[in-house]
Amino acid sequence: MTRRLTALKTVLWLLAGVLGLLTVVRFLRGLGATTALTDTAPWGFWIAFDVMSGVALAAGGFVVAATVYIFGRERYRAFARPAILTAFLGYAAVAVGLLYDLGLPWHILNPVAHPQHHSVLFEVAMCVMLYLTVLFLEFSPVILEHPRLQRPLLVRIHHALKKVTIPLVIAGIVLSTLHQSSLGSLFLIAPYRLHPLWYSPYIWVLFFTSAVALGLAMVISESFFSAWLFGHKPRRELLANLGRAASFVLLLYVALRLGDLAARGQLARALEPTGHAALFWLELGVSALLPALLLQLPRVRSASGGLFGSAALIVFGMIGYRFDVCIVAFARPEDMPYFPSWMEIAVSVGIVAAAMIVFVFFVEHLRVYPPERLPSDPCAERAGTVNSRLSTLDAPPGPETVRPLLVGPAAAPRRYSLALVLGASLAVALLPATALFGEQVQRTPVAAPRMLDVLRLPASGRPAALVLPGDLELRTAGLGPRPALLAASRPERRGSVAEGDPGLPGGHTQGEPVRALLLDADRDGRTVLFAHDAHVERAGGETSCGRCHHQNLPFDRASSCGSCHADMFLVSDTFRHQRHVERLGGNASCTGCHDGAEGAKTRAKARACDDCHRDMVVADSVVAPRAGGLDGHAVGYMDAVHGLCVSCHEREVAARPGELPDTLADCGTCHGREDPGRLRRQGPYLPHSARRAQGLSTLDPRPSTRGPRAAPGPYRVGARPAE
Amino acid sequence: MTAAKAILNDTTRCTGCEKCVSACKRENGLAKDLPRRWKLRIDDLSSTRFTTIQRREDGRPVRRMCLHCLEPACVSACIVGALQKRPDGPVIYDGDRCMGCRYCMMACPFGIPRYEWEQPVPYVRKCILCYHRLDQGKLPACVEACPEKATIFGDRDQLLAEAERRIRDQPARYRNTVFGRDEVGGTSVLYVSDLDLGFLSWKPDLEAQALPDLTWAALGKVPTIVLTMGGLMTGAWWLIGRRNKLAAEAAAAKEQETAAPAVKPKTGEKS
Repeated sequence: MTRRLTALKTVLWLLAGVLGLLTVVRFLRGLGATTALTDTAPWGFWIAFDVMSGVALAAGGFVVAATVYIFGRERYRAFARPAILTAFLGYAAVAVGLLYDLGLPWHILNPVAHPQHHSVLFEVAMCVMLYLTVLFLEFSPVILEHPRLQRPLLVRIHHALKKVTIPLVIAGIVLSTLHQSSLGSLFLIAPYRLHPLWYSPYIWVLFFTSAVALGLAMVISESFFSAWLFGHKPRRELLANLGRAASFVLLLYVALRLGDLAARGQLARALEPTGHAALFWLELGVSALLPALLLQLPRVRSASGGLFGSAALIVFGMIGYRFDVCIVAFARPEDMPYFPSWMEIAVSVGIVAAAMIVFVFFVEHLRVYPPERLPSDPCAERAGTVNSRLSTLDAPPGPETVRPLLVGPAAAPRRYSLALVLGASLAVALLPATALFGEQVQRTPVAAPRMLDVLRLPASGRPAALVLPGDLELRTAGLGPRPALLAASRPERRGSVAEGDPGLPGGHTQGEPVRALLLDADRDGRTVLFAHDAHVERAGGETSCGRCHHQNLPFDRASSCGSCHADMFLVSDTFRHQRHVERLGGNASCTGCHDGAEGAKTRAKARACDDCHRDMVVADSVVAPRAGGLDGHAVGYMDAVHGLCVSCHEREVAARPGELPDTLADCGTCHGREDPGRLRRQGPYLPHSARRAQGLSTLDPRPSTRGPRAAPGPYRVGARPAE
Repeated sequence: MTAAKAILNDTTRCTGCEKCVSACKRENGLAKDLPRRWKLRIDDLSSTRFTTIQRREDGRPVRRMCLHCLEPACVSACIVGALQKRPDGPVIYDGDRCMGCRYCMMACPFGIPRYEWEQPVPYVRKCILCYHRLDQGKLPACVEACPEKATIFGDRDQLLAEAERRIRDQPARYRNTVFGRDEVGGTSVLYVSDLDLGFLSWKPDLEAQALPDLTWAALGKVPTIVLTMGGLMTGAWWLIGRRNKLAAEAAAAKEQETAAPAVKPKTGEKS
């Protein structure tokens, strides 16, 4: 028996060690680094377990106190002390757990300084604070009866406390009723988030009823556990009575729960084949239906296993009820589910472990349990009364009976210290990087960029060609007017291109060595040649890095070239090859444009348009020709329209202040007003004078004549809205 | 008393240029948006982004911000009164009082309050309707920045009338509803739109009932529960105690009668 105790205490100290280390991490690194909480899951494991379930698990205190002191069931008096101690430690654990969860725990007494009595949480906080005090006063006689504390003042306090036992008990019952139910009322404010199977205007009744049942179940399971731990005999027949009482409370709870659903017209929702309905029945079955039915059977009730098993079902099920309300059935976005981090769970477990250490300490040094006696002892019922403060410590299972695992005079402290340190070390080993270094910015993995030495072939007056080693998969499609990428096909030339390589195309024997950057820009594992210098230049120099390099968005696979080059697919080809063939003399004319008779007749190996079409650019065109000259591609629609319209708008607004509205050059002048959020389909461009002449407003866009939204289509220059 | 002010957002005018966002960030000194565990989308509301342009499925922009409810759930939930509703509209926040319980975040039907999860000393962050600018007689920064007048500021009554006028004048352009007139008891940020704005809240089709009333329905019963429970318990204790005492006395008397030299039974066990 004592071995069990030693082993348990060692494990408890180990868990306390984990807690100790996590405490440091939690307060140094903050909630984001230690928990899995998010803005859409602001309450997580700590609230659901430490606070919601913790308070409910400690309900045994007021239930037993009412049974013994108010309803005069003296037979159950032996349960009073452990139940009150459990409740006191439970509430203390709630308060400690709350310190971890609160963002600013040093403000925990602010509700007293700045009360806001419209908040349910305020009521809960006040009740918990007061009830913690009441529980302390209820339990303090047990401390004060210790032989070493028999000083005159303390004895007087002891007597005074005993006189107010009944008022204290009544206050405790009232406070418990209030906050056990108010824990449910907390969710009344969220009718749009809590699932209708759980949301009820009378959720506080359900919370209170379930807390009473849970309190009884806790007394049962705790009695069995401490009997196992300290080697007592559990008072099975009394516990069976408690179990029977619990089953009636549970049946009431089930009736209330289902009746409430029916009254709200939500019963059909519970029968739909949804995940929430399944969860509802699972929770109701485990927490109430199954144990209530089991405890109705005398055969189950009278067997230790049956009684303990049913009580355990209630405990787990009712904790589940609170988790459902607080987390599972509480709406949050599907892409941001909440699952607690191991640190959250370990902190909660550690707090329970610490409370159990204190519990065991009290049991070892105070008369929490009545002294050992035979089950048939006639004074059994009276043995644990508050009055009998004599003959304490007759046979406390003290540490002296523990067989030391570590030798020496202070074996027990050494063992527990070792466990504590081991626990802390274990926690260090398990800490994630976020806890050590703080919460990090999320990253998306990409293939590392590569730098390659390549040769630029001199080619007069035309885009240069690059020769690349053959081990690279290159995306050339859609690159448009770029230098030709000539992947070397022969494997022996992989990885290096030497100057004077005889295998270079076009008969060239030397080129200019340059460094090329290959990027996995689409994050698909394939690289493209990336002109970094050109991007820096175009994007605005050295301060422009952020325009591209902020795009490490989590889960954002589309963070690619296309997120800047939004109009790259709108480029339209103005070159009509067939017409050129016909006019220039059929098949004989290929080499008139294309580079030599050998090799592919690609656009890249053709003359630029303005080699022939010298007059192609209008003399004072407002559209600036792209760098590199005309190459057969029209500028993208967006570039063209922005270049044409916006620059002119800006110029005109600046030139004629007052006459034209300031907003003429704003985005919305063209975007959005008629066709929300989209580019407006503009009619053919008309100068202001022409618009005026046709009786069109020069400022307000024409009213949209389109009916409901048309399907999105390609934007066409010159498409007139259907009249 | 100052007239209740409000903001009217017209989503059909918004072009999604995000000038409101950058003005808000500048005005409130907000840090750069970084992708974090709790911020999967960079344009989501966060402790560094009080207002944002949310793109709908077809790319149309809708501005999200605190709606500054007339009867705010967050204010009624706040245990220490760190969140307050000013008579002129803004729902403001006092970090010195906040204890970080995050009940406001649970309570808000629109999911507005955000937390500084990355900070060891975290505060709740949300739009405060630039109340410091209102005190100086200026417009909220976002309203001032909007180039399209898609978001305008004024007396709530007048804005409601303006919203109705727009709907009346261009019935084809708008849905026939002003979002925020009645939702959860009315809000100080109104919307007119051609879109169903149900996505702004956790559930579409908010009812007109103010959320604090739901809480108060239960919270108002506290005195009753105290008196009932206290009275019941005291009565039960007195009655049962007396019955037990009488029973014990009767039993003792009976015992004395039947067996004359009986040992006097112990009483006074109860206290």
